[in-house]
Amino acid sequence: MIKIENLHKVFDNKYEVLKGLNLSINEGELLCLLGASGCGKSTLLNILAGLMQPTSGDIKFEGCSVLNTPPKDRDIALVFQNYALYPHMTVLENVMFPLRVGKNRLSKEQAKKRAYEYIEVTKLEKFINKRPHKLSGGQQQSVAIAAALVQEPKILLLDEPLNNLDATLRLKIREEIRILVKSMNITTIFVTHDQEEALSLSDKIALVQDGHVVQLDSPQEIYLEPANLFVAKFMGNPSMNLFIMRKQGNRLISNDFKIDLKLLTPSKFKDELFEEDFFVGIRPEYFLIAPNAPVFTTNIIQKELVGKDCILHFKLNKKVAKIIVSTNSRVVEGNKISVGIDYNNIHIFTIDGRRVY
Amino acid sequence: MRKSLKAWFLLSPALIIIILFNLLPLARTVFLSFQSSSLNNSHFIGLENYITVLTDSRFHQAIYNTAIYALAVVPIGLIISLIIAAILYDFKKFQVVFEVIFFMPYIISTVAKGSIFRLLLNEDYGIINNILGWFNIMPINFLDDPEIALLTIIIFGIWSSLGFNIVILLSGLRNLNSQYYKMASVCGANKFQQFWLITLPQLLPIITFLLTVNCINSFRIYTEVYTIFNGKAGIGYSAITAVYYIYDKFYVVNRYGEGMAAAVILFMLILIFTIIQNLILRKLTRR
Repeated sequence: MIKIENLHKVFDNKYEVLKGLNLSINEGELLCLLGASGCGKSTLLNILAGLMQPTSGDIKFEGCSVLNTPPKDRDIALVFQNYALYPHMTVLENVMFPLRVGKNRLSKEQAKKRAYEYIEVTKLEKFINKRPHKLSGGQQQSVAIAAALVQEPKILLLDEPLNNLDATLRLKIREEIRILVKSMNITTIFVTHDQEEALSLSDKIALVQDGHVVQLDSPQEIYLEPANLFVAKFMGNPSMNLFIMRKQGNRLISNDFKIDLKLLTPSKFKDELFEEDFFVGIRPEYFLIAPNAPVFTTNIIQKELVGKDCILHFKLNKKVAKIIVSTNSRVVEGNKISVGIDYNNIHIFTIDGRRVY
Repeated sequence: MRKSLKAWFLLSPALIIIILFNLLPLARTVFLSFQSSSLNNSHFIGLENYITVLTDSRFHQAIYNTAIYALAVVPIGLIISLIIAAILYDFKKFQVVFEVIFFMPYIISTVAKGSIFRLLLNEDYGIINNILGWFNIMPINFLDDPEIALLTIIIFGIWSSLGFNIVILLSGLRNLNSQYYKMASVCGANKFQQFWLITLPQLLPIITFLLTVNCINSFRIYTEVYTIFNGKAGIGYSAITAVYYIYDKFYVVNRYGEGMAAAVILFMLILIFTIIQNLILRKLTRR
C-alpha cells in the first residue's frame, strides 16, 4: 500500500507543479497516472522513485514514510519512455546490470541465471548478445522491462513507456505489461497521457490536473461517472458534446433543443439546480437515431468512418456536435437525421464545473 | 567521362592547395633526406644521412626524451582531465566559469605560457620554489638542472593539455542521457560504479580521439622546450626532443639532409605508433 499525502513540489523557478496531491495505491494494483503534459505526473513518479524531493507532504510505503530512504532502498524499478538502455552493453548485460550493483549484489553466475529467466519471460532469447541499437523499438522496450522486472521490485514505475512505439506494437506491449505485472503481483504505476491506454490497461486511473488528483476510480467509473466537468471533457474519444442550457421551470432550454428534467432519474441528482445556466454533457454514443420521437432533426455535415462505427458531425446550437452510429446505417453527408437523447446517460454541470447530475 | 572531368575541375582548388602545401613539401623532405647536406651543391648520397642520424647519441637522447614525454604527459594529462571534467560536470553552479578558466591555457600562445612558467619556476625568486620553501623543501632548480629539465617540460606539457581535453570530455559527458544515472541509482549503483560501468565505456570513443591527438602533439613538442629554456634545449641539450633535434640540424648546424632524415624517421615513428594505438583501442571499444 502506497499512500501519498498532501504532496507539494515547487521547482527552483518558483513553479508549483504539485499542489497538495493525495493518492493511495493498493498492493498489486495497476494504477495509471493520466493527465496532459505538464500536469505533474512525471514529477510525482520521480518523487516516488526518490530521484526528487518533495517540497512538503509525505509518501508512505506500508505505513512508513520513505522520504529519507534513498532510491536504491525503496524496492522500486523504473522504465523510461526512451528505454535508457546502456548502449555499450548487450541485452544480457543490460538485464544483468541491476543485479551486479548495489548492496544485494549477486555473483555473475546467479545474476546470469536470473537474467535468463526474465529474458525468457519477455521473449528476448534471440537477441541476448545484441547491442540495443540493433533492436527495434519494441524489442528495446522489452529489454527495459526485463531489466526492471529482474530486480523483482515491489513497485514498478513506468514513465510513458509506450510513447515511442507504433500503434500496433503499443497494443501488444501494453497487454504484455499487464499480464506480466499481474502475474508477478507487482504494484505498478504507469504514467501516460493517452486515455485509451489508461482505460484498457489499468485497475484504477488517477486523473491528474494542475497538480491535483481530480478523480481516482476504476476506468469504467471514471468514464461513466466523471467527478466534474474537467474529467468529463478529458475522458472519451470523440469527446463529450457540451451545450450551455438555461433553466426555465422544469426544463433546460437552448436554441435548438430542450431537455425535460422530469425525464431524468431523480435519484441521480447530486444537488438541486439553483443556477440559471448549466453545461449539459452528452457523449456521442448517447445521441440516438430516433425517427419516431426525435428531440431535434439536423443535417450531417461530415462523416468520419472509424470501423464498425462512424462519427457524424452536425450543427447544434451553432456548434459542431458529434454522434456515433453503426457504420451499417449507411448515413452519408448531407442526409437529414432525427436525433434522440439517452436521458439516463447525460450529465449536467454548473458553469464552474461542479457536477449536479 | 565529361562528368569526371567536371568533378576534377571542381576539386582542383582544394587539390592544388593540398599538392602545393602538403604533398610537395613531404616529397621534398624525403628527397632531401637522400641528398648531401648542402642546399646549392647537393647530390645523392643514399642512406648516409640516415646512418649518421641513427648513430648520433643526441638523436637517441631526443627520441628517448620525446618518448618519455609522451608516455608521461598523455596518460597523466588525460586522467587528470577526466577527473576534473567529471567533477565539473557534477558542479553545475559555476560550471561555465570554470570551463573558461580551464580552457584559457589552450588559447594563450605557448611562448607566453613558457615565459610565465620561466618566472614561476625560477630557482631564486619563482613562486613555486617560494611555496615549496614554506614546507621546508629546498629550492628545485627546474630550469638549469639537466636532471630535472625533462620533468619541467613534462609538468608544463600536462598543464597545457588540460584545457582542450577538459572541454572535449565535458561535451562528451553532457551528451550522456541523464536517465542512465537515474536508472543506475535506483538499482543501487554507487557513484564509482556509475562512473566505471556507465560513463567511462561511453566516453571511450572520445578518449580514443583525445589519445590520438595528444600523442601526435607530444611527438611534435618543440615550442615548449624552446620557450621554457630560453631558446635552448635545457643545459647541455638535456631536454632535447625530436623536433628540436630536426630544427637544430636544419637551422643551427645547417646539416639539411640529416635534418630531413630525422624528420622522416620521426614521421614513420608517429605513423607506426598511431596505427598500433588505433588497433588496440578498436579492439577495446568493440569487444
